[in-house]
Amino acid sequence: MMGEWSSGEGLQQHMQSHGSVPRPVSNPPMEHRFMPYQNNGGTVFAVAGPTYAVAMADTRLSSGMRILSRNTTKCTQLTSKCVVLTGGMQAEMVELHKRMKILITQYEHAHRREPSVNAVAQLLSTRLYFKRFFPYYTFNVVVGLDEEGKGAVYGYDAIGSFERIPYVSQGTGAELVTSVLDNQIGKTNQTKQLEPLDKTDLIDLAKDVIAAAGERDIYTGDYAEVYVIDETGVNKSKVDLRKE
Amino acid sequence: MASGTLSAPAPPFVMGVPSAACSRADEVGTGTTILAVSYKGGVVLAADTRTSAGAYVVNRASRKISKVHDKIYVCRSGSAADTQALTQFVKYYLNIHSLELGELPSVNTAATLFQSFHYDYKDMLMSGLIVAGWDGKRGGQIYSLPIGGSKIKVNVTAGGSGSVYISGLIDALYKEDMTKEEAQQLALKLLSHAMARDASSGGMVRMTTISEDGVEETTFEGDKLPTPA
Amino acid sequence: MPVDYVETLVAQKGAGFVFDNYQRNQFLASSDPQAFKMPDLKKTGTTICGVVCDGGVVLGADTRATAGDIVADKNCEKLHKMADNICCAGAGTAADLEHTTKKFAADLELMRLTLHRTPRVGTAVTMLSQHLFRYMGYVGCALVMGGVDPTGPSLYMIYPHGSTDRLPFASMGSGSLAAMSMLETGYKDDMTIEEGKKLVSEAILAGITNDLGSGGQVDLCVVTKDAYTMHRNIMAPYPRTRIPKPVMFPTGTTTVLEEVKMLKGRLEVTDADVEMRDA
Repeated sequence: MMGEWSSGEGLQQHMQSHGSVPRPVSNPPMEHRFMPYQNNGGTVFAVAGPTYAVAMADTRLSSGMRILSRNTTKCTQLTSKCVVLTGGMQAEMVELHKRMKILITQYEHAHRREPSVNAVAQLLSTRLYFKRFFPYYTFNVVVGLDEEGKGAVYGYDAIGSFERIPYVSQGTGAELVTSVLDNQIGKTNQTKQLEPLDKTDLIDLAKDVIAAAGERDIYTGDYAEVYVIDETGVNKSKVDLRKE
Repeated sequence: MASGTLSAPAPPFVMGVPSAACSRADEVGTGTTILAVSYKGGVVLAADTRTSAGAYVVNRASRKISKVHDKIYVCRSGSAADTQALTQFVKYYLNIHSLELGELPSVNTAATLFQSFHYDYKDMLMSGLIVAGWDGKRGGQIYSLPIGGSKIKVNVTAGGSGSVYISGLIDALYKEDMTKEEAQQLALKLLSHAMARDASSGGMVRMTTISEDGVEETTFEGDKLPTPA
Repeated sequence: MPVDYVETLVAQKGAGFVFDNYQRNQFLASSDPQAFKMPDLKKTGTTICGVVCDGGVVLGADTRATAGDIVADKNCEKLHKMADNICCAGAGTAADLEHTTKKFAADLELMRLTLHRTPRVGTAVTMLSQHLFRYMGYVGCALVMGGVDPTGPSLYMIYPHGSTDRLPFASMGSGSLAAMSMLETGYKDDMTIEEGKKLVSEAILAGITNDLGSGGQVDLCVVTKDAYTMHRNIMAPYPRTRIPKPVMFPTGTTTVLEEVKMLKGRLEVTDADVEMRDA
């Protein structure tokens, strides 16, 4: 004996009895409206060390299936020991970074000193939440050295929720990066507590991770900018990624 | 049971019309320019050679005039897949019909076959055709077969998105009982004017002339047309 | 109306296909497209192309398969052998391409055995286009098919809706525009096979470099009157930039919840000669 489920009518009645009426599936009404956002792709991430921090961002700018530029930065140095990295929409990133620089300059004029990384992080959160109902389409990372000289990494959502964490990744390759960082930095699933990585090993790991993201994420590639922030300041270098 | 799809299919591939625009629900404008002109003793069929998908020209040397039988040809506009498949069907049935008949089929028979397919599958086909040819009964003939299933016998006609630009020119220049050369020159002039104005028509002009004496196929390259595109 | 799931299941056991989930999916998809998205199919966002040369055809393809933004396969095969004299390059839905080409390769072979004739390229194109037309574009195959038969070398494009074009050079897939720019620049009538291989490689390379849906290596296939030659990974334009340092996990890294004693092997291996018996 066949139950109600095998009959199409029975199913429809069952669904209807729960209050919603099935609509025909073919040719749903098309709606055209202003779409101000686009994702230009790319991956950014940062890791905090005891006396330093490492940040990484690829330099590919894409739109759809096309590469717009192979050499566009996603990073801006805001103070002598603080860098902001942004994934998402490039135009929004440019606007946001510009605004941050203006506000930090104003802060410097007002207080006769640089803002701390903590202050920059709070400022970015405020700026993002200011546009709560028309957000910047950006996914940010603030990285630097805090007032005690310890590595500091802050992760954000698009509307300003943020927290200080040991490592964070954003952008189209974020999921790929996070899984490796969870395993290698967070050691979230390892019982043996190994020695934490030293600075050189950490930088090497970071380079490996962005290269790996470039292997599998089509929007990540070309080059990666490497920022090492320590007591000497912000040190920038570049590594090659796949260009396909 | 609702008919639906698991994932949205790509928009149908269309000769001349931006494919994103034709969701099959509201297909009005068909691409390309096709036309046929009758003269004393035969007919001339002509078509451009552009097939595009959106802004991209997929084929710049396509053949939109297809053979249905020895002396019956068809100009195709609309969905490339639909019109190609339809032509193959009609070709098949007409060949069998011709074998049973033991002589060349009439152009009217071919057009009627196309018409019945058009009418029976009007909800599925996006196809606008011009069937033309020559037979011993009625000489050179042209049938216009727009979407929906009608069949109109005409002396001259144009179809596709480019036809709207030349309807006045056709009225002004067409005369009955032209010579073959006059008809060919007229077809070339009409088509090159349409190609100059219509973005989804272009490339070359392919022309097929059919009369009692046989079938003649000519191609005019795009940079050698009377009206430069 | 109460529904007895267990009874239904029991009643349906062994009764062939059940389409309940299809109907449920249709309902879910129609009720709120935002809340319920159909799973992504693996697409070969692809560059494929082909060129007719003097006495043969050359077909080429990249090797990237994508699932959304992710590279699903870095070295997949998009050139399918249809017959000893016909090759087919595929773009579109990976599963459709794999199954459709396999089916028609089998059909062509059966045809060859029945008729004792080499299958013609035009025959293969007609079979495929009729199949695709029947499925109204839902079988997502965009093909470039080429080969050599008694009529000479020929090359066709076949679209998912079933339309076909015969051309001296052709490209398809998301990288087709990049490839076509190279083909339009470099194509000459009656090129040698070597010239054809070079042009097709350049066209595929343009796709790999400029189209995000294409990548990996260049595959080529050359079909002439006498031979079908596959050149797998003939070009590897963008090798790995970095070989990651191997990560070692010492024994005990993972918590041991329970130990399972290995059962003793039940197979007995003998070294003695065994007499062969007729089946």
